[in-house]
Amino acid sequence: MTPLPKLLVIDDDAHLRESLAEVLELGGFECHQAGNAKDGLAAAQKLSPDAVIMDIQLPDSSGFQICQELRRRSKTMILIMMTGRFLSSEEKTQGFELGADEYITKPFDLAELSTRIRQLLSRNAAR
Amino acid sequence: MPAPRRGKLAYKLLFWFLLLSMGPMLFVGWHLVRGSQRALRRATLEMQESLAVGFADTASKYVATFRNALAETSSVADFASMNPVRQRQYLDRLLQIHPAVLELSVLDARGVETLRAGRFLGPKPEMRDFGRDDLFEVALGPKGRYVGRLERFQGLYPTVAVSVPILDQSAQPSRPVGVLMARVSLNPLSTMLATEFPLSGPSSAAVVARADGFLIAHSDPKEIYRPDARLPDEVLKALSAQSADHGGGDLPVLSDGRRLLAAYAQTRDLGWLVYIQQPVEVAYQASEEMTSQIVKVLIGVVLLVTALSWVVAGRITQPVRLLKEAADRLGQGRFEDVPELVATNDEIGDLAHTFLDMSESLKEKTGELVSAKQELEKFTKFLEKRVDARTRELKAAQDELIKKERLAAIGQMASVVGHEIRNPLAVINNSIYFIKTKLAAGGEPDSKLSKHVKIIESEIQQANGIINEILTYSRTRELKPERVRVNAWLEELLALYPFPPHVQLEKRLDPADPAVDVDVTEMQQAVRNLLGNAVEVMPPPEGGRLVVRVAVPEPGWARIDVADSGAGIPPEALDKIFSPFFTTKARGTGLGLAVVRKAMDRHKGRVDVESRPGAGTTFRLWLPRAA
Repeated sequence: MTPLPKLLVIDDDAHLRESLAEVLELGGFECHQAGNAKDGLAAAQKLSPDAVIMDIQLPDSSGFQICQELRRRSKTMILIMMTGRFLSSEEKTQGFELGADEYITKPFDLAELSTRIRQLLSRNAAR
Repeated sequence: MPAPRRGKLAYKLLFWFLLLSMGPMLFVGWHLVRGSQRALRRATLEMQESLAVGFADTASKYVATFRNALAETSSVADFASMNPVRQRQYLDRLLQIHPAVLELSVLDARGVETLRAGRFLGPKPEMRDFGRDDLFEVALGPKGRYVGRLERFQGLYPTVAVSVPILDQSAQPSRPVGVLMARVSLNPLSTMLATEFPLSGPSSAAVVARADGFLIAHSDPKEIYRPDARLPDEVLKALSAQSADHGGGDLPVLSDGRRLLAAYAQTRDLGWLVYIQQPVEVAYQASEEMTSQIVKVLIGVVLLVTALSWVVAGRITQPVRLLKEAADRLGQGRFEDVPELVATNDEIGDLAHTFLDMSESLKEKTGELVSAKQELEKFTKFLEKRVDARTRELKAAQDELIKKERLAAIGQMASVVGHEIRNPLAVINNSIYFIKTKLAAGGEPDSKLSKHVKIIESEIQQANGIINEILTYSRTRELKPERVRVNAWLEELLALYPFPPHVQLEKRLDPADPAVDVDVTEMQQAVRNLLGNAVEVMPPPEGGRLVVRVAVPEPGWARIDVADSGAGIPPEALDKIFSPFFTTKARGTGLGLAVVRKAMDRHKGRVDVESRPGAGTTFRLWLPRAA
């Protein structure tokens, strides 16, 4: 059996990250969690996830900085930014330039999210 | 302030002129009158005295005439020796020549009448004996004549007896042998007095009298015939005190206290007095006339001097008055009205000149002051305007700042709240998704459970919608204006809007089809909010009519009206409806109209509203037309 796609959720809100991880696990993903940027980067180093879903605001760092670091390490890793507020198009553009692939706004449409991740993963695989 | 009452300069000058000219003149005039009065009175008195003396002389001469006539007759060579018939002829001739002679007698050496001739005698008159009489004895004496024996002839008029001796010329030396005697009427003296002394006035009189008061002659002949004719005693008394043979003066002799001017003279040898009296006022008439004449002249001179002084004072004070008037006008600031000043060649002329210089300078200075004042007023007004404008700007800026701060605070709060609520909302959403998925995996789920899952999902959506609305309002995104034609843009928007069937839409587009520069997203949101509100206030089943109108109400502006036929907005709520979080709905954020106003503000336009309770509400969006 092929291994499940590996996801890493980085958010300081334990409930959010757990609920999201478990929902995604139901959707057929292998989910890992991290509560801050440092742990998140370490976990990403260790696990090499296929996709990382991170909040743009973390207690110890900006989500964009992690995004930039992760993109520096891997060109293919799927990076999805979570936000609770509106982002201006400048902010979004800046995020895309730093390597973000997608933005999702809380509360999420989970079915849509799952589908989107799979689509991005399959595109990567095709390359 | 009224000027205190002052004496006029002209009056003062007049007073001094009069004092200086009148004083000496009156002094001199008074002395002149006094002096001439005295001289005139003395002259009058002297004239009266000389009259008296003259008349005394006349009276003496009158008597002397008869004495001489008698002496002439008696000294005819043979008169003493003539027979009585011839003597009588002589006597008759004397009677003829001298009408005043009333009677003639020839007395012999013993003093007995030998011949008697007269105008009123019978043919055989009685022969009288004058042997012991002065008449006879004095005439025979060394004096050789006699005048006297004054008596009233037949009790009527005064007569005097005159006698001279008859001398025997043949004897050597001649010796008196008798006396020739005549009784002479003194009436002609009165007549002479009346003609020579034509006196006027009741108290005027010229009188000849004996020292004892016997009246001999009177200037009024009627007085002679009065039985009690005498010189008044008081006059006699006054005259007896006089020692000189002539004189005169004032006599206070009249009973009514009037004074008389009197003069007297004694006849040389008769012992008679001539007395003349005149009331002082008559005697001094000339002096009084002169006085009144002088007074008249003085009055005339006073009037003349007054008039001249008046004219002179007027002439002197006129330039001063003009100066005063000019100064008054100057004081009132009437520079144009200043009267023409006469340039006299003296100190007043200098003063006028100085005054004119001063007025020019004053006019100039006043002009400068006035213009400076105007300048100052202008500047003050300008400053006031500036201050007002600045105050308004500051107020507007302050209002704007308050609004912005409030909006910023709201935005910040909204952001925090939105973010913080979205997290739990996301967790709930995830969890319910998890549950739903699990339920679906476990075969046919409990229908009630599924319903509640759906309710939760719906509520999550609603909560998220509210958060979105708040975040939309608080977000300040940059405008991205593009030029649109209002008609087409609005038609597209309306076509996509899900109007419920109970709302009847009416479009009224403007043929001008104005162009505006708008951020389409934001402006669409604004119009949608208005449409949403309109639909909400026209609920089924009645529904209502919704009019969307485009208008070009005035140059430079385009307007979109959204009018409903709903219940209307109560007037007290009208000024609050655009405030954030104000709502009349049971559910709602109260941000719909706030979003509309924010959008209009950001587009440099405005929104206003007109509502009639029960009839409907019209919102008007004003947008500046694109150039």
